[in-house]
Amino acid sequence: MLFAIIVAIITFIVATAAVAAFFVLRARKAGTVAKPSHAGRDRVRSVDNVGVKSTLDEQVRARGGKHATPTTAPAETTTGRVSESLRSRFVALGVLAAAIFGSLTVKLWSMQVLASGEYKNEALQNKYTTVATPAPRGLIYDSDGVMLVGNRTALTVLADAEVADDHDVVQRLSAVLGIPYNVVRMRIQDQSSGAQSQRVVASDVRQRDVAFIAEHSDAFAGVTIQERAVRDYPYGALAAHVLGYTGAISDAELETMPENRKVELGDIVGKSGVESYYDNLLAGEHGQRRVIADSKGRVVEVESETPALRGSDVYLTIKAAAQYVADVELAELIAPGNVIGKGKGVGGAVVAMDVTDGSILVMSSYPTFTPETFNGGITQDVWDLYSTAESYYPLLNRTISGLYPAASTYKAFSSLAALKYNFANKDTKWVCEGTWDGFGSGDWQDCWFRSGHGELDLHGGIVNSCDVVFYEIGKAFYFAGKTQGGTISDTALQEEIAKFGFGKTTGVDLTGEEGGRVPTPEWKEAYWSDVPTEGFWRGGDMTNLIIGQGDVLTTPLQIAVAYGAVATGNIMKPHLFKEVRNGEGANAAAIKFESEVVDVPEVEEKYYKEVRDALAEVALGSPETMSAFADWGVDPTMVGSKTGTGEMAGKEDTAWYVCYYPKDNPKYVVSTCIEQGGGGSTVAGPVGAHVLGALLAAENGELTDIGRVAGSSGKSVEVSSSGGGRTD
Amino acid sequence: MPVQPQLSTVRSGAGASGNGSSSSLLGRFVSAINLPFVIVATLLVLYGLLVVFSAVSADEDYTFSRQLAGVAIGLVVMALVWAFDYRRLSEYTTLFIIVNVVLILSPHLPIIGVNTMGATSWVKIGPLPQLQPGEFAKITVILLDASIMARYQGRLDDPREYLKAVGLMLIPFACIMTQPDLGTGLVYLFIAAVALVMGGANWRYLVISLAVGIALIVAVFVIDEVLKGATGEYKLLKQYQRNRLLVFMNQDSTDLSDEGYNLQQAMIAIGSGGLFGQGYMQGSQHALGILPEAPTDFIFCVLAEELGFVGVITLLALYVALVIIGFRIASASSDMFGLLIVSCIIGMWLFQILENIGMTCGLMPITGIPLPFMSYGSSFMIVNFALLGFMGSVWTRGKQNTRRVDYATAH
Repeated sequence: MLFAIIVAIITFIVATAAVAAFFVLRARKAGTVAKPSHAGRDRVRSVDNVGVKSTLDEQVRARGGKHATPTTAPAETTTGRVSESLRSRFVALGVLAAAIFGSLTVKLWSMQVLASGEYKNEALQNKYTTVATPAPRGLIYDSDGVMLVGNRTALTVLADAEVADDHDVVQRLSAVLGIPYNVVRMRIQDQSSGAQSQRVVASDVRQRDVAFIAEHSDAFAGVTIQERAVRDYPYGALAAHVLGYTGAISDAELETMPENRKVELGDIVGKSGVESYYDNLLAGEHGQRRVIADSKGRVVEVESETPALRGSDVYLTIKAAAQYVADVELAELIAPGNVIGKGKGVGGAVVAMDVTDGSILVMSSYPTFTPETFNGGITQDVWDLYSTAESYYPLLNRTISGLYPAASTYKAFSSLAALKYNFANKDTKWVCEGTWDGFGSGDWQDCWFRSGHGELDLHGGIVNSCDVVFYEIGKAFYFAGKTQGGTISDTALQEEIAKFGFGKTTGVDLTGEEGGRVPTPEWKEAYWSDVPTEGFWRGGDMTNLIIGQGDVLTTPLQIAVAYGAVATGNIMKPHLFKEVRNGEGANAAAIKFESEVVDVPEVEEKYYKEVRDALAEVALGSPETMSAFADWGVDPTMVGSKTGTGEMAGKEDTAWYVCYYPKDNPKYVVSTCIEQGGGGSTVAGPVGAHVLGALLAAENGELTDIGRVAGSSGKSVEVSSSGGGRTD
Repeated sequence: MPVQPQLSTVRSGAGASGNGSSSSLLGRFVSAINLPFVIVATLLVLYGLLVVFSAVSADEDYTFSRQLAGVAIGLVVMALVWAFDYRRLSEYTTLFIIVNVVLILSPHLPIIGVNTMGATSWVKIGPLPQLQPGEFAKITVILLDASIMARYQGRLDDPREYLKAVGLMLIPFACIMTQPDLGTGLVYLFIAAVALVMGGANWRYLVISLAVGIALIVAVFVIDEVLKGATGEYKLLKQYQRNRLLVFMNQDSTDLSDEGYNLQQAMIAIGSGGLFGQGYMQGSQHALGILPEAPTDFIFCVLAEELGFVGVITLLALYVALVIIGFRIASASSDMFGLLIVSCIIGMWLFQILENIGMTCGLMPITGIPLPFMSYGSSFMIVNFALLGFMGSVWTRGKQNTRRVDYATAH
């Protein structure tokens, strides 16, 4: 560096000196050489002035006049040369010129010769850019290898932000793409993908329209066409909530990504479902392209390329054929003609699980959505539609995030608790008169069967789902509590129920799972902390809790897992993930799931037997369910099941049906819940029975048909209330 | 002294002086050619076209043919000006003032005026391409300043006359600042300064003027600071002007504002050229569009990047040659007016060379001043040719005068 400075200074001095010397020499030359003739010339000039006058001078004088009488003109100026008196001025201007050229030369010398290396590096950095090429995501299959999510390329029309102000271009885009003018404009103005980036006008555009735009590029200034890899869903909305959808990574997601995961702005990542939960498996690795790109980002030349590595293929435990039946059953029940409210209920959920290992075979939620609509960023109109109460939130996975009163499905667990604390045994009998006021408070509580069941034991209470039987047990629990002067815990009942996984998440491999609620005195006190008079745990809370009503909240998946435990004694961890296979070959499975027993509730086998025997008789009491089992050739005597009808103030009842099969060596459990569907045995029962039947057929290989499922239209009409009361 | 050559000189001189109809037009023209001057000017123009061709090839906003058209028109203009006797213009000071004011203020006129990027510097008349009157006014500014100073015949010691001259010369500057166009305004100021120095203004007045000028600049900053304190924003200097100054003062900062980015990329382009350059048409910085305004204000970077230090020195050598030839023509001028015209032309070019090249390599703050004979733009190209024409005209009259003198001496 020091050397550079020294050289620069020397060069500058030399350059300045050289130029200065030139002028000095020139001036001296003019002085010495011209001097002898100077006098002569002067004389000659005077001759010239006297004799041979220039005609021009005359003209000038005639016009101007002033020239003849210069204000401060020295005598010499009338001669040919005016420069002699100004020699110092010329030297000054010359020195200035020398300084200018000298300093420029020195500066350029230092930049181009001395420091050139650094600049060359920077120019190379400018020239070459390393671009990460997106990796295709892995595919998603069902447990039998049916592809549920594939990849394909789609043509996307993009526009610069400025295009929004160009009326003509927006008009033309609207005409070609068949999208209303205002929508096109709105999409171009949408800044959600970043202020700088181009805006998506339309994804998955027809080849014909793209060709038209490309051919008339002059008329579409600022519009570009891009080929983008998008997710392909051969069966439409089939298992949409399981699969989830993808989208461009958001700023928030970019920040929260784990360190080992390399993501770039603009990457497509899973946003929900399996796509999100197993994103690290599905995502693959970016390729690297070293390119020469111009300032507008257009690639001029590709230097080198490392291909992207496709993500791993994920196999799910889902049985696509049975899933299809479940999806269709729910859609036809709830929204005939794709309008919610024309059938029964406003939403529904079915989840089927293999109780031996926790594999989820069917997970269906309605209303549903087509994941394809999320390709290339969901449009505002679809998002708005799915966010309205009128659409009943199709993006919600009701199997894990829908919270409903468990209703009579709770009775299996209440019964186990009653048997344990000996509030019920072989000899205990109760009389149901259709209504009950065991606390003598004047607040009568009804049995769903208003005419009354007459005399019943616990077995009869479960089979008939008699509420009075359980009110009595609840009352017993309430008075046995320490607060009431008893000997057992105030929350003994809750503790027994919670053993089956209620009040906490099941740990399924999806995000957004809810844990539900098993109400306790502490919870109630905290919940009503603003209104302390309401926060007091009453006997009525206990009798509500024991029949799964009141403040009880649970998810359909929790019910499935809990009944799996009633059937087998084990609480399994439910999961959708079966295995990962890399590339081709049957033995390419790299990661397989391992079944996990989360808990083994401490319940005596004889109590289980008591409850299971009762559950085995439930199905036989409902003609609708019986006929539904018959549709698929399932022997109803082999099924252990329970219905439930959850009451919600001002709304139609929540219909429940949960069953396991076969009752002696259980393999499957199916939990069905129809939001505002009405009676459990009449509405939810047939759906559950059909799904179980389809599942068995699919496992035998008799059912293989899988069709395309439509997403919810988002439309709904007011639900007609049957007003018929509970038909538990 | 040999007799023979002297005689022939006399003969041709007699022919060139044009007092007989026998001499052909061609003969007059050939003898009216200053060979070194023509060669240097031709080389400069060709060199400029060469670089512009490379610069515009990567940018579809510019066309090479438009630059060629500028050169063609320029040649015609030069020939006309050369043939014209500049001395006829020496008395039209008032006219020049009027022409300057009208020209420079014309972009403010409705219909023809065009406002781009916050400056009203362009006019558009009918189908003609957009023109920048401020560029053309450089000619009339030179003529105005030269005519003002010419009447003092190389001595100006009267303070009142000095102030009057300075006041008249500041008129074009005042007009251009209404657009506003500080870059062109500085060119006008520099032309005025050269006219004052070369016109023989008293050294003491010049030094005082310089001091006053510096004080005024300081005052502008101080007042601006005070205004900011009072009103919350700078009033006199625009934000982009401040940015340019800040970037200039603080070149190592990683601040990548537009101005900082431009300077950084310009310097990378120059530096990466090395000794011999990346090769003609091979410059990555401008070809990829990283270099801003490559064909116009940053044309020098294209040259430096592609042809390296050797190419740069070639250009500077051509400029030096032109300046030296200019000095010779000025000192050989037959009258004060011609001397001042040529001096002002040289001064203007010097300033534009310094500012344009200087800003690209970080020696000067960034302003939009084109590089003579190099930058893309037909307005300035035509202006340069017209100025060449004036130089030629001054040289021709000066030579005729000398010949007349020699002729008279010989007889």
